[in-house]
Amino acid sequence: MNRPRVLIVEDESDIRRFVRLSLEREGMQVFEAGNACDARIDSASRQPQLLIVDLGLPDADGKTLIREVRRWSSAPVIVLSAREHEQEKVEALEAGADDYLVKPFGVPELLARARAQLRRASMVSSGPESSVVCFGDVRVDLATHEVLRHDEQIHLTPIEFRLLAALVRGQGKVMTYRQLLLDVWGPGYADRAHYVRVYMTNLRQKLEAHPPRPRHLLTELQVGYRLAGVVRECAQSVAQNTNFSAATA
Amino acid sequence: MALLACGIATVLAELLVRVFDISNVVALFLFTVVLVALRWGKLAGSVAALVGVTSFDFFFVPPVFAFRLSDAQYLFTFVLTLVIALVIGQLVARIRAEAASAVAGERRAVALAEVARDLSATSSVRQIDSVCSHRIAPLFGAAGVLLQPDAQGRMANVEGAIVSAPSVGGVMHYVPLISPTHARGVLAFRRDAAWTLREDDQRLLESCCALVAQALDRVHFTDEARDTLVRMEGERFRHTLLAAVSHDLKTPLTAIRGLAEALELGNASSPAEGRDMARAIHRQADAMHRQVSNLLDLARMQDEGTHLELDWHDAGEVIGSALAAMDVVLGHRSVYIEWPPGLPLVRMDARLFEHVIVNLLDNAAKHTPASASIWIRAHKGENHLMIDVEDDGPGLPLDVARHIPTATCTRNAPGTGLGLALCHSIVQAHGGSMDVLGGESRGVCFRVSLPIADMPELEHEAL
Repeated sequence: MNRPRVLIVEDESDIRRFVRLSLEREGMQVFEAGNACDARIDSASRQPQLLIVDLGLPDADGKTLIREVRRWSSAPVIVLSAREHEQEKVEALEAGADDYLVKPFGVPELLARARAQLRRASMVSSGPESSVVCFGDVRVDLATHEVLRHDEQIHLTPIEFRLLAALVRGQGKVMTYRQLLLDVWGPGYADRAHYVRVYMTNLRQKLEAHPPRPRHLLTELQVGYRLAGVVRECAQSVAQNTNFSAATA
Repeated sequence: MALLACGIATVLAELLVRVFDISNVVALFLFTVVLVALRWGKLAGSVAALVGVTSFDFFFVPPVFAFRLSDAQYLFTFVLTLVIALVIGQLVARIRAEAASAVAGERRAVALAEVARDLSATSSVRQIDSVCSHRIAPLFGAAGVLLQPDAQGRMANVEGAIVSAPSVGGVMHYVPLISPTHARGVLAFRRDAAWTLREDDQRLLESCCALVAQALDRVHFTDEARDTLVRMEGERFRHTLLAAVSHDLKTPLTAIRGLAEALELGNASSPAEGRDMARAIHRQADAMHRQVSNLLDLARMQDEGTHLELDWHDAGEVIGSALAAMDVVLGHRSVYIEWPPGLPLVRMDARLFEHVIVNLLDNAAKHTPASASIWIRAHKGENHLMIDVEDDGPGLPLDVARHIPTATCTRNAPGTGLGLALCHSIVQAHGGSMDVLGGESRGVCFRVSLPIADMPELEHEAL
């Protein structure tokens, strides 16, 4: 199996170094770029399967780079950003980034996000999309609108289902409030983030084992939501998950 | 009036003369002169005296209906009566004028006393303006407004609006307000063109203006004293903060630097110890990161006043986010969340509120053993959402506990002060409060109360 190619675009060499070391230990092939200009060349010549982009580059805005890359590549992009700028993160996500890491971030966090994005990309590219997905002990059929938890039918309102479906289609990508509002409610609602929060609270009550500490319907504070732990091999994973929870209970 | 009164007196005299002697009836005319002078003053009194004596001659002294005198005695009576009437008239008129001026003086004194009383109760320029327009201006039958120079030196009212000459009717009348130290502004009256001030009203106006100027002076110096106090408080706060921060940042920095250097020199006796040292660097860097975050928040809160990015949030969601961020710090401590479903959304700055919870959890982690438990509970009060963060650690001495949330930087416990002070000011900026419950012997419970407001109605979907 060939090693996944990752391009890291970051002007601070120490950060580049530890990201490279950590990813290489995971068996990935890592290329480094210190500015947007090199990044353009490398992303065209190396064809990376994952990009990690710092938003504050010396020669260009990270968001501009993401938009350029998005024109011809669907490779997932993880954004690195400083903590203060929620709005910048939201803009980067809406420009086409898939996930973000806030500086200072740790190695486990970095690896988890990178793996999740690579898995997501390979899932998208591997064959026709199945209408059934699972996360935790929940099984969602996008075609029949059927939602099962512990093999029991769960009743969702149409909006709750549309919200869940939007997150499922995102497949682990961070969805901003705006994107979710546009997707579920329509263009007139883009500034009513509390709609999403109210319905997300309801969804968690229905689908999460312990709603205050969600494991799948995750909050990205001030940014949006993300659905974590989505798998395709449903039957098996539900069984595994039941076993797992039985063992820990 | 004097003529009318004399006419009435003549008619009355005509009736009386049938009963009494003529010489007695003269007194009736003198009485009329007194009344007229009392009522209408000096001039009217004199006229009444002349007309009275003349009509006495004309109507009563024989020959009746003629000015000729049949008896020389009557000439003496006339002259004497006229002189007495004039003198009485003058005296009565003077008494009247003095009484009137005493009444007017008392009215002014009362008005001035009321103005002084109202002004002494004021503590802001706005209140002084209200006294000017509602108490002083009506005394002079005009509309009044207080004008003070604004930053550009233009005269503006308390709302900051530039007042120009009236557009319709009336004339502006300006009176300067000069205190012993400064010219404080101008009292502007909008008046009719025909409006004039009598001399004593002018004096009253000047007295009022002096009082207003003094009140403005007092407010000005009170404000200045308060500003100075706030600045001093701010200075002291910065000073304590700087001391706390330099301690809180230099400690982890020293550890990080020392550990890193030891690793560089190969001082670790075994690979396991090397890993341990690296882990310690990691931990110290995390602690430093939290301190820096707190500092940035604090600076942000101070710089922008209390600029919050308010929106409707599920507090439980924010707590979940804080817990996820504190996973490593909390280690093996068990965290129990008691979060009843159906709690209302709260209007808050989610990022800042997350930091409140992060700091409370960090505080709990610092003061409890690794096996401790932490409870996060929420319940809805009448119009507050209460969030308790409680641990079962050794607790805090009561005096420390009582001081923690209010002290800007606790001197007793360096390192904990900054975070908790930040919590306190964030919660306060949300219109809520933070208290310490219990904590005498075992366990500390911080209670954060946030006000619940009515959320804009959602468009409910048909189920």
